[in-house]
Amino acid sequence: MFSLASIATMAACIFLFGLFFSLVWNFTSIVKGAEEGVGVTVFFEADIEQAKIDEIGDAIKARPEVKEVKFVSADEAWDEFKSDYFGNKAEGLEEGFKDDNPLANSASYEVYVNNIEDQAGLVSYIETLDGVRDISKSDVAAKTLSTVNTLIGYVAVAIILILLVVSIFLISNTVSIAISVRKSEISIMKLIGATDLFVRGPFILEGVIIGIIGAAIPLGGLFFVYEKACTYILTKFSVLASFINPVPRGQIFEILIPVGLVLGVGIGLVGSIITVRKHLRV
Amino acid sequence: MIDLDRVSKAYAKGQPAVDEISLHVDKGEFVFIVGDSGSGKSTLIKLLLKELEPTSGTITVNGQVLNTMKRRRIPKYRRGVGIVFQDFRLLKDRNVYENVAFAQRVIGYPSRVIKKRVPETLRLVGLAEKYKSLPKQLSGGEQQRVALARALVNRPEILLADEPTGNLDPGNSYDIMKLLEEINERGTTVLVVTHNKELVNTFKKRVITMRRGVIAHDEEEGEYIEA
Repeated sequence: MFSLASIATMAACIFLFGLFFSLVWNFTSIVKGAEEGVGVTVFFEADIEQAKIDEIGDAIKARPEVKEVKFVSADEAWDEFKSDYFGNKAEGLEEGFKDDNPLANSASYEVYVNNIEDQAGLVSYIETLDGVRDISKSDVAAKTLSTVNTLIGYVAVAIILILLVVSIFLISNTVSIAISVRKSEISIMKLIGATDLFVRGPFILEGVIIGIIGAAIPLGGLFFVYEKACTYILTKFSVLASFINPVPRGQIFEILIPVGLVLGVGIGLVGSIITVRKHLRV
Repeated sequence: MIDLDRVSKAYAKGQPAVDEISLHVDKGEFVFIVGDSGSGKSTLIKLLLKELEPTSGTITVNGQVLNTMKRRRIPKYRRGVGIVFQDFRLLKDRNVYENVAFAQRVIGYPSRVIKKRVPETLRLVGLAEKYKSLPKQLSGGEQQRVALARALVNRPEILLADEPTGNLDPGNSYDIMKLLEEINERGTTVLVVTHNKELVNTFKKRVITMRRGVIAHDEEEGEYIEA
């Protein structure tokens, strides 16, 4: 009876862990996607020579935090501008601005960093380079994403720690009850000459089994529900579909299942070992 | 076999439960330990089982000094010491056979040894026919026989009996004591803590009388001496 209660509570804890794990991973994936889209644009001083531009490009590429550097020529910048702002109606513009690129001094490097946290440092560095006129950056987006990412990390760690402590306490409680129920049997075992391992083994095993069952049930449930839940959320809130691309089930569960099981076994082991060490000294 | 050299055990400040006791028991002896409640008899048994540590003095059993024995050595030591209690302490949900076999299982005997030794031991205590009975289906005397079988099945060199007849009628008490005597005659050293004056006087064994934690009398073929 007590074991069932313990399994149920453990299952609830691991379920919450799994749920949170999936949420964190998906949100991290969204943040990562957004980070990849946030870069800085480096503009050059007027009439700068191509050799100097290449030199600046090499200096930026040499930085370890830089993921990608893309050169955008003045013509490409103008084509992109036309396409972005005028779309199909850009044909008339070509006539008017023939041989006269209004963005003639707008050749640039688009620079993307590996981690958004490194962007500010990189900007400071580029500002010191000779020949750089201006740097266009998205400070607000970078800082917001960075903060949200860190916040999610802290919240995840806090919740997981609380769940761990609660689960260990519950397992410990269950094992204590099992020990008190079998008190007379244990006292006989000790007096007959049973070893520590023989007396403690069954209780430790009980804790581990509670851990495995308590982890397997919610992990199985989450595995079957994950994709249905993602589809339901994206259908119900279609506005999210444009920027959320759920992490594939296989990718999440190839990590969540072993981690969840190890966590379950670990909680069972720690909870039961603490208790038997306290109550079962031969 | 058993040596106590100026052994004391105090639970708290004040009169110690056992006070500077020195005692020697030879291999194969049968000894009654008598005395009033609180005289230190049960503490002495617990010290010999290494359930308690002496406050001072040295206890040596079978050449092993209990004071310095490492914790991991205790189970092996206890396998050489059988114990029976006044309240039998049987496992209520297991039958006679399983109660006796339990003593062998906990120390890892193989099944073939258990299947041979348990019936042998049950025959010794006169319960071969009742091996399937649960403890609640047995009389007090029969339950104590099961407890004795459990204590003996691992063939200990020493048997400690703490008030083994305390819950039994005179007839059953005599039978149990007779059985203990038989076990002793087979070579096991037996120490019996008891209040039973008639039995002590009937069996004419060595009698150690304890009073307020000290040995007041120690006589071969002695008699029960009232406080």
